[in-house]
Formats: sequence, C-alpha cells, structure tokens
Amino acid sequence: MAGHAVEHDYHLIPPSPWPFLSGCAALVWGLGMVTFFAGLVDRTGSSPMAEWFFANGLDTLKSSLTGDGSLSGGWIILLVGCLFAAYVMYGWWKDVAAESAAGDHTPVVDIGLRYGMIMFIMQEAMFFVGWFWMFFELGLFHKVRATWNPDILENAAGYADSMAPGVTSVDAWHLPLMNTLILLLSGTTVTWAHHALMHNDRKGAKWGLFLTIALGIIFTWLQLIEYAELFHLRESGHEAWIGNNAYGSAFFMATGFHGFHVLIGTIFLFVCWVRLLKGGFKPEKHFGFEAAAWYWHFVDVVWLFLFAFVYIIFAMNGVAH
Amino acid sequence: MRLVHNITASLALLLIMPGIAFANKPTDGGYWLQDAATPVMEELTKLHNFVFWIILGITLFVMVMMGWIMFRFSAKRNPTASKTTHHVGLEVAWTIVPIIILLVMVVPSMRLLYFQDALPETEMTIKVTGNTWNWEYAYPDHPNVESFISNPLEKEDAGDLYLLKTDASLVVPVDTKIKVLITSSNNLHSFAVPAFGIKMDAVPGRINETWFEVNPGKEGTYFGQCSELCGVNHYKMPIEIEVVSKEDFQSWVANDGAFTTAVVSYDNGSIVLQD
Amino acid sequence: MAGIGYDDHDDGKPGFFARWFYSTNHKDIGTLYLIFGIISGIIGGYLSFMMRMELSEPGIQIFENGHAYNVFASMHGLIMIFFMVMPAVIGGFGNWFVPIMIGAPDMAFPRMNNLSFWLLPVALICLLISFFVPGSASGNGFGGGWVMYPPLSTSGAPGPAFDFIIIGLLAAGFSSIFGAINFITTILNMRAPGMTMHKMPLFAWSVLVTAFLLLLALPVLAASLFMLFTDRIDGGTGFFDPAMGGDPEMFQHLFWFFGHPEVYIMILPAFGMVSHVVSTFSKKPIFGYLGMAYAMVAIGVVGFVVWAHHMYTVGMDVDLKAYFLAATLVIAVPTGVKIFSWLATMWGGSISFSIPMQWALAFIFLFVLGGVTGVMLANAGVDVALHDTYYVVAHFHYVLSMGAVFGIFCGFYYWFGKMSGYLYNKWLAAAHFWLFFIGVNVIFFPQHFLGLNGMPRRYVDYPQEFELWNQVSSFGAYITLAGVGFFLLMLVEAFIRKRPAGANYWGDGATTLEWTLSSPPPYHQFNTLPRIEQNDEH
Repeated sequence: MAGHAVEHDYHLIPPSPWPFLSGCAALVWGLGMVTFFAGLVDRTGSSPMAEWFFANGLDTLKSSLTGDGSLSGGWIILLVGCLFAAYVMYGWWKDVAAESAAGDHTPVVDIGLRYGMIMFIMQEAMFFVGWFWMFFELGLFHKVRATWNPDILENAAGYADSMAPGVTSVDAWHLPLMNTLILLLSGTTVTWAHHALMHNDRKGAKWGLFLTIALGIIFTWLQLIEYAELFHLRESGHEAWIGNNAYGSAFFMATGFHGFHVLIGTIFLFVCWVRLLKGGFKPEKHFGFEAAAWYWHFVDVVWLFLFAFVYIIFAMNGVAH
Repeated sequence: MRLVHNITASLALLLIMPGIAFANKPTDGGYWLQDAATPVMEELTKLHNFVFWIILGITLFVMVMMGWIMFRFSAKRNPTASKTTHHVGLEVAWTIVPIIILLVMVVPSMRLLYFQDALPETEMTIKVTGNTWNWEYAYPDHPNVESFISNPLEKEDAGDLYLLKTDASLVVPVDTKIKVLITSSNNLHSFAVPAFGIKMDAVPGRINETWFEVNPGKEGTYFGQCSELCGVNHYKMPIEIEVVSKEDFQSWVANDGAFTTAVVSYDNGSIVLQD
Repeated sequence: MAGIGYDDHDDGKPGFFARWFYSTNHKDIGTLYLIFGIISGIIGGYLSFMMRMELSEPGIQIFENGHAYNVFASMHGLIMIFFMVMPAVIGGFGNWFVPIMIGAPDMAFPRMNNLSFWLLPVALICLLISFFVPGSASGNGFGGGWVMYPPLSTSGAPGPAFDFIIIGLLAAGFSSIFGAINFITTILNMRAPGMTMHKMPLFAWSVLVTAFLLLLALPVLAASLFMLFTDRIDGGTGFFDPAMGGDPEMFQHLFWFFGHPEVYIMILPAFGMVSHVVSTFSKKPIFGYLGMAYAMVAIGVVGFVVWAHHMYTVGMDVDLKAYFLAATLVIAVPTGVKIFSWLATMWGGSISFSIPMQWALAFIFLFVLGGVTGVMLANAGVDVALHDTYYVVAHFHYVLSMGAVFGIFCGFYYWFGKMSGYLYNKWLAAAHFWLFFIGVNVIFFPQHFLGLNGMPRRYVDYPQEFELWNQVSSFGAYITLAGVGFFLLMLVEAFIRKRPAGANYWGDGATTLEWTLSSPPPYHQFNTLPRIEQNDEH
C-alpha cells in the first residue's frame, strides 16, 4: 500500500535545509548575543586579536556613544548571526510562498496554518503577560518594598522613593498619544488592504499595505526618538531610563519588546507586500496576508495595554516634560 | 491479636520517637524529624505524623490492591478478560473519598499554618543577616550588645560538630517569645533551625520575620544550616543557637554579650559555668 | 485496515544526509529526538553519579569546591529536564506516535518539526560551553541551581557561563513552543475521519494537554530569562536588584509560574503511555476513559494556579500560603482518579507481565509514593521543616526520576519493536528493569530520612550524622548504573541480532492504530486515511 497514490489532502514536504540551517544560525546568533552583551574574554590587552572579536561589544557601543574609546568588533558575530537568520528566513519563506502558489495549501492545510498562527499569537501574548506581571508588581507594590528595610541598603534614600507612583514617567499625551493614533490608523489601512484584496482591487491592496508598512516604520522611528530623548534626560534627574531603577527597566523592556514585535510585524507585512507586487495572493486565498494582519492587530492591542497602563494609569503623579 | 498489637505499637514507637537521646541536632543515622524544642515544632511534628499515617495508609492500600490484582487477574488465573469499562458509583467514590481525606487534612494544616505565621506578642527581637558566607546577629532590644558575626569552625576545631559548630553562637533566653527579623546583605540565604520548626529565607532588600519560643527545660545548644543555595560555601554557614535560662541571659546582656566565666560545657540541657 | 504492507523498494526515502539533517518525516525526527534524549541522559546521569560519589562520605573528595558541585547539580537538573525528559516524551514518543495514533500521515508542520529538533542540539551545545567558561569568582560554570534564582544568577555569577545557559534555555524554549504549536495543530486538525476527540487515544490527549501547558508556560520563562539577561548587563535593568527598587522574589514567582506546569509537562505524557501499556497487557480497554482524559485536563488547568507552593519560606503573606496550600491539595484528586482508573483497568483483566507492563506497574507504585510525599509537602506548615531538604529531593525524584523516567522506559519497551522493527532480548530488558528499579529506590528512599532529619539540599559536604543514609543512597547509584549498562547492552544486542518484530507483537490488547502498521511503519503511512468505526463504546 505504501508507494500507492496519496489519497489525502495533507501537505507532505520533501526534505528541507532550512530548519537545520536555522539551528546553525541560532548557534551563531547565541554566540553573538553572549559576546555582545557579556563578552567571552576580558579586555586585558594580552591578546588584542581575540579581544577585538570576543570582548564585550556593548561597552564599545557605549563608549563610542559618549565619544571616547576605540571601536572593536564585539558586535560582528551577532551581526553575522542576524544576517544568517535573515537568509534562512528568506529561503524558508520563499519555499512556503512557492508551495502556496503551487496549490499545496489545500483547505485542510489552510485550517492548520490558521490554528498554527493562533497558537503562535497565544504564546506571544503569554510572553507579554510576563512583562506586564513584572510591571504591575513594581507599580502596585512599590510601597511595600520601600518600607521593608531602608536601613540595610546603602542608597536607602534613592531606594525609598524610586518607585513612587509615576516617578517622572514619559508624558502620555505627546509622542505616545501620537504613536497610539498611528497604530490605530495602521489597523484601518491593513483592513482596507484586506478588503481590497478580497474584492480583487489589487491596486488598493498594494496602497493599503504600503501605508500600513509606512505607518509601522513611522511608529518605530517615533519610539526611537522617545528613547533618544530619555537617554539625554537620564542624567538630569529623569528616572525613566533603563538602568536607573526598576520602573525604568520595566518601561524600557516592555515597550522595547513591543517595538521589537512591531519590527517583526512590519517585516511580515513587507514580505506580503513584495508577494503582492509579484502577483501573489488570490481574492479567495491569501492566508499569508491574513496572518500578517492578525499579527499586526495583536501588536496593536499590546500597545493599547501599554498605553493605558504604562503611560497613563501608572504615570498620573509625575510626568517629565 | 496481642502480637499484632505489640508489633504495631513498637513500629509506631520506632517511627515517631527514634531519637531518645541528644536531639537538638541531626541524629546519627536518624530517619525522623528532630526533637521539638518549641510549641511550633511540636505542632508541626504532630501534623507531620498525622499526615504520615494518612499517606502511609493510602500507599499501603494501593500496594495491597496492586498485589491482589496482579495475583488474581494474572493471565494464568484469569485467561479471559472482562470488558467492563465503566462504573459510575466507583468513579464517583474515588473522587469523593480523596476529597474527604483532604478536607480532614486541611483543617489541622491550616491551624498549624496560622499558628506558625501569625506573630504573637513577642517579648524580644533579634535580627539575623545572612552574609556570604556567615551569619550576623544583632539584638535591637539590647543596644549594649554589639552585633557579631558567627563564623563556621574548621574541622580541627569543630571535631564531630563540623559544619554545625560556629565560633560565636546566637544566645537567647528560654521560655521567651522571640521575634526573628531576617534579611540578607547579598545572596539569598535561609535561616533554618529544625528543632525550632523555623525556616525563613533571607532576601536582600526585604526583612522577613518569624518567631520561636523555646519550651521551659529545653536549655541547650541547637544547630541549623543555611537552607537556600547561596554559592560556593552554601554548605558551610551553620547556625548555632545557645538557649540559656532567663537569668543567665540577663547576666549575659549585662556583660555586653559575654558570659562572665568560660563555658565549660552545655550538656544535659543547661549550661555549666566555671567558677 | 489490516494488510498495510511494508513496501521497501520505493519508499521515497532520501539519502542519508537529507534524511537525517533535512528531515521532514515525523518518525525520523522522533528517532533523532530519542537518540538526543539518550545522549543527554548519559551526560546528566554522569553528573548525578559524580554527585553521589562525592556525597558517599563526609568531606570533599571529588570536587574542587562547593561551586564545582553546585555546577554539577545545576546542570544535572537542567539537562535532565530540558534535554532528556522533554525531548524523549514529547519530541520522541510524541512525534513518533501522535500522528499515527490519530491516523495522520505526518505532523501539521513537518519543517517546523525539524526546527524544533535542531534548536535542541544548539541549546545543549550552549549549556556544555558554559561548563568551560568563567562563571563566578569560585570557578567555571554556573552554580546557581536549575531554578536560577537571582541574585546568585545576576551579581553572583558575573562570568559568561550563565549567559550561555540563558541562550541555551531560550533556544530549548523556542524548540518546545514550536513543538507545542505543531502538536496542537496536528491533533486538532488532522484526526482521521471518525476519530472524534472523545475517541482519541489517551497518549494523544496527554500530549495535547502538555502542548497547551508548554505554549502558555514557556513564554513566561522566556520573559524572565530575558529579565535575568538584561539585569546582568552592566548598566542594564534592575528588575531583581533591590538597590534599584526591584525584587529578587519576583523572579521566583515568574519562574515557578513556568516551573510548576513544567513538572506536569514532564509527567503527563508518561501518564498517557502508561495508560496504553496497562490497557494492552490487561487485554481490557481503559477504565473510565473520559475521566482519565479530563483528569489530565484538570491537572493541567490547576497546575497553573499552584506555583507558589515552591515558595512557602520566602516570606509570603499567610493568607496567600493558605490559598496555595488548598489549591495544591486539589491536584491530588484528579491524580487519584488516574491511579484508581489504572487499577480498575487491570481489575478483571488478563494480565501478562511483559517488560513494558513491569515498568508501568512500577511507575504506578512509585508515582503513588512520590505523590503522597507531595501531599505532605503541600502542607505549608510541615513544609517549613522539609523545604529545601533532601525530603524534597526524594519527592521530586520519585515523581520525575521514577515517574517520568519509568514512563519513558515503559513507552520505549512498548514501542521499541514498532520503531526499530526488531525485538529486544527479554533477559537483558528484565535485568535493566530490576537493577534500575532496585537502584533508584535505594538511592532515593533513604533521602526521605535525610530530609526529615534536616539535611539541606545542594550541600557538597555534610555533618557526619548524615553519613549512613548518604552511603546507602550512593550505593544505589552503582546499582542504577549497572541497570543503565544493561539498557545500552539491550540496545546493542537488539540491533546486532535483528530479530524482526511483527506488525502487532503484543496481540489482542494492543488496539491503537500504530499496531495496524508494519514494524517499522512505512516511510509515509496512511496514504489512504484510516476510518474509525462509529459504534465504538467509549
């Protein structure tokens, strides 16, 4: 019976190099992460070659930002890892797009892809649960912590009030409000693109998607401006910097990981846009596009939570600007 | 019947009271809880033994059932298998009965928890700080007693009490409700004294509290060990507590935290002082 | 469905490299997982054996200092959990048999399946690197325990060793998340016609519940690992640094929110396998099938709301402790349902004591033992005396080292012929079972005594009072090692002798779909999907 005709609609895939290469890329990327953030060797000057490549890369970045110190190559392995990963992503995605075009994605496979995407978004949501949990712990119970034992800590004074509600947070009604509107707008443009695609208005779909991507990039850009501003304010008593206190940490990591997901979403939409330009997707079958749209809406919702809690509710008492 | 009774009685004795002699530290080859020196530990031991009989019963029940099933329904004795796959009554029973057992257990369990955790009106306070790797003790109620560090003794000095004995023990009075404040200067530690039934983590940036009251007549030296992984010398930061009579404690405090005369021995539950 | 032959002239098998490195075949990937699990098991077993040798008498014999011992203990935990048990039960048996049992030709996302596998060697390499790079001032490697509590994992371990562990665990975590997505999609979307959820074999149920636990718990671990990672950077975050307003205990909450579901992730698939074995060798269908399936669902759900029972001594509010005490005890109820259902399955059966059945019976007995000490530990009051002592070590080794691992061996012997196509030698297998069974009991039973008597965990050296039971325990390690030797011998012997296994070598009792296929199954099974009759009586 084996060897006879396949009588089911499932998608059996021939051997593929991409998973194995992904593993290799992950290894390089991991080495790069450790090198860049921790450093494999100490900077002692005994072996300059090894130190140029393998000493902490973040230090170099910091010293070059503040204008002293020479450049070194602690970032190279990380960059190679990222490029490797990008190459694998390109190849893998291309295969999937080709399979889709070849009609391998039968209705049952299409349902499977939907399940898969829903599960993926569920796990992303749980990832943010971790960050919000941390944020709420710091925001809600700061008083408990501050009154525990100011006497045994060296910097007792700073400790006692560093978590006072909304210590010098970012003003929600400037850039963050702008960003909220941008993301909400991008939610409408992506829906526009979707409807256009369903009605076979390919021109409208291209424009809608293009605008969505553009709005995503603007969002990221504004976020970077906000971070840069906080960076400059970090020494003038502004508390919301990543390394200044736990509140700053929670603020930066939560918004930072959200920003990272915006980036992924933007890439996802960009890939769809390229496929669209190349004539991919049909009015009745375009799950790649829908998955990107789902993901984009997810990122949008996370932002609304961030905006409501991190920027508004927990920042009522003291605002920086 | 008499034989059975004798066996169960001696078994029970064996299981519940293994250490008759010196038991304010681990017993040699011991297999049960250390002897209780505080009301909390007494209650804890009681609950432990109560739960122990329950879980022993459950284990034996399952064991006997399994043994019987393996014997009675082996392929040799029972060549044709039945086809029964449902019995509502049975399924309800083995859901309800465990719930009842748990309810029986949860009442004393909660009582113990709140007895342990609800701090009574304490008569004095001591403060314990975990360092890497020793304990530091302070007496906030007795400002003339300076805080001191209790280092573990090396093998040559400690002898048989290696990894238990320190160079300076925490001194507390008997029959007194004592509040213990516990914190840490760097890593996590845990302040644990088995005979007192206390174990509380020392966490940097936080003061935890617990309490103990050594029963009258239980003067002596008690030992505990750090119980939260804290690095290379985690195994080597013992806790040594000397419980003395109230009078001895008063004179110890009056002498700024020193016994006027050298301690010869603290066997038999009370301190013998040299003249 | 009888008569699916094994057609070996045109099986569509690719060449060696493409087959094993670029694989998209669930059975080949399952095999890779199992081989990987065995290798990790040997590494993790070596670590634990060295610890047992160190502890066989007071004094420091083998290790340089306490740090070296802590490194071994930490890595033993991490490797056994993430690289032995999880790959074996979920990756290995899950991949092999979930698609077959539900009548599917492969997993839903065959390529992503292979990604799940290849992230694991990457992760293991990262962990192994960490042995040899600076950890703390006391030496190489990370010695902060598998739970990785800060500050010992932040300011207490400044070297890159722990960064490698973080990267490795992130890779392993993503591997499991992708695996979970794959299993959920496969089980929900690819069941054969007529295979309703309530007809699905219990192993598939157990993997479904496990996959949901993975999907919801692991991202929280990933977040907390990232927090550790950025906390460790100079000038980085201060989530767990009290001097910056952070809280070291918050990590414990985040960690155990993952960590408690994690223990069910390890044990649930074993439940599933044991159910099949008990039913097969009693020649009876599972008693109370629905109760069994929903007991696993209940265990999974309740497993998410009991995490802080690992933290009774951190100084939590007493009312919180009372809640976690009560919630934890609740888990005993669905667990009891499973135990009694297994007994009832055997009741009235016609039991043959083949090797897998021996493992299954031992599993039930030992799991009960480990379970009841869990009930003891759930009592927050008593836990004060037992927390972080060897009683806890004994408890979780009874449920994991004997629960999960006995489940793995149970499944391994049950399906070995199906996977390899060869029969194992019964005598070698029996020697493996008995030596292993006696060995682990000799190791871990005395540890209850040590714990009651007050011996704390993670000690490289101990007061002389603890010597007796430590000696006994270390002696058990030799017996277990001999057992593992027989396991490897059994493997080698079976592959040398090549005694062919028939399609259904267990006879009437084995009723799930894998027994309708040849041994080993064709490279792609079910080109025509099987049809499940509607009048099945579940």
